[in-house]
Amino acid sequence: MQKTEKTKKPIYFGWYVCAATVFIGFVSIGARNSFGVFVIPMSEEFGWSRFTVSIAAALGVFTNGLIQPFMGQLFDRTGGRKLILAGLFALGVSTILLALTFHILFLIFMFGFVASMAQGGPALSNTAALMARWFKRKRATAISINAAALSLGGLIMVPFSMYLLQATSWRIAWVGLGIIVLTSLPLAYFFIRERPEDMGLNPDGDPTPPSNGPAPRARELKGPLEVETWRESFKSAPIWQMAGSYFVCGTTTFVLSVHFIPFAIEDRGISGATAATIFGYMMGLNIIGALGAGLLSDKLRGTKNWLALVYLMRGFAYVCLLTIDSVAGLWIFATIAGFSWVATLPLTSSLTADVYGIRALGTISGITFMFHQFGGFGSVLLAGLLFDITGSYVLPFSIVAVLLFPAAISAYSINERKYSVRYQTPVTTAAAGD
Amino acid sequence: MAWLFSFILAHQGDAADPELLHWIKERLDQIFGTGPWAVVALMGLVIISIPAFVVIVYLLQAKRRSAAPQPNQGTQKYEKDSMEEFHHRVR
Repeated sequence: MQKTEKTKKPIYFGWYVCAATVFIGFVSIGARNSFGVFVIPMSEEFGWSRFTVSIAAALGVFTNGLIQPFMGQLFDRTGGRKLILAGLFALGVSTILLALTFHILFLIFMFGFVASMAQGGPALSNTAALMARWFKRKRATAISINAAALSLGGLIMVPFSMYLLQATSWRIAWVGLGIIVLTSLPLAYFFIRERPEDMGLNPDGDPTPPSNGPAPRARELKGPLEVETWRESFKSAPIWQMAGSYFVCGTTTFVLSVHFIPFAIEDRGISGATAATIFGYMMGLNIIGALGAGLLSDKLRGTKNWLALVYLMRGFAYVCLLTIDSVAGLWIFATIAGFSWVATLPLTSSLTADVYGIRALGTISGITFMFHQFGGFGSVLLAGLLFDITGSYVLPFSIVAVLLFPAAISAYSINERKYSVRYQTPVTTAAAGD
Repeated sequence: MAWLFSFILAHQGDAADPELLHWIKERLDQIFGTGPWAVVALMGLVIISIPAFVVIVYLLQAKRRSAAPQPNQGTQKYEKDSMEEFHHRVR
């Protein structure tokens, strides 16, 4: 009787890399999101107006958005490990140094420039590019876990900062946040590795098949649009289709981050607490939406179809928001929009990697992220301006809502079957001829 | 211009909306009903438990990792054998 020895397979190292980037995203976004908590105590101590403090925050937004393509380029050239470690160290130290704030210029410099630039290192566009190296079949899932961690970081780290501030002082709270960011350094040091090949592994932890069979060819498959430099990618249609719809994603999410609660209070006549409850519920759902989008896209394929569906869902949610003039309309909107809120991120990132490969992915993702930020920035300004003119949010919300339908068409019309590496088939004759 | 201010701050993160922050704090106060230090300690523990969990799992998996062959070992062995055969033929 033949005895078969069964040994359980160890967890693929890529999942440790994923866990490390999850924690990195969690703490770094949390430290950054907590800025709002510090505005009142710092303003009160120094006698600054809120507008003065907002200069630091505004500079932070611009710096962080503009730096992303450059950080992406650094990622592609020097590697993710060095960039993430350096970014985390600089973010942790600059957060601690915020405790020494004595003048508004110091705050502007330290938060608006140093911390915001440092945050570009461990930003999601880079960690998503890292995930794309470690995963192929489970790429969207790994990226979606990272995206969900950002939402979770905001929801846990911000209240943590609030209580820390209440228990101590704003100076100690900054130090505490900085220390938490620095605690992610050992994890990043031990677990962040550039690519599976460096550790003798294959993407997804797949075993290496016999070298004389056709399978190795399948693993080395390339998409027809795979690029060496980011410039090449912008000569083809899919990147414009993705960046265009991502721009709309920015316009439709940012505008609500800012104007949803005022809209619910002023246009729908509900209390601030109820408005916040609905918004909090929507933010909670986005974690499930992000994870679900990644899993479904990997299991059932058709990333661009899921992406189009997400935009369509969000468009439908906006229609409900604008046409159902009651609290029920807000809840329906929050339910549908909540699932679609962050879901675009893992889908866009994984589709970008599937079409353009991973060599220039950091830069390409950084640029598409910039499109997203520009869309968000423009929409919020436009919504505020139109609200001042018309006295209602109906017109600005209608404009951004209308954009979601061409965005869905744009995503749906991406020729994924032709360009995505997932749909390429190996040429068996070439393999056999070796 | 209030919207401009709220925009700038809200871009630091969705959860930074003042109404939402107030709501979160009220809910947490209801849940915990204790002083801020207790909540800080509890949340701090939750945050730190994430990397601790990752390290523990990695260490627990050490035995399995050493027992399982590396995916590329087969290929490397094949390449090594091929090189040895090549050198043998040259000699």
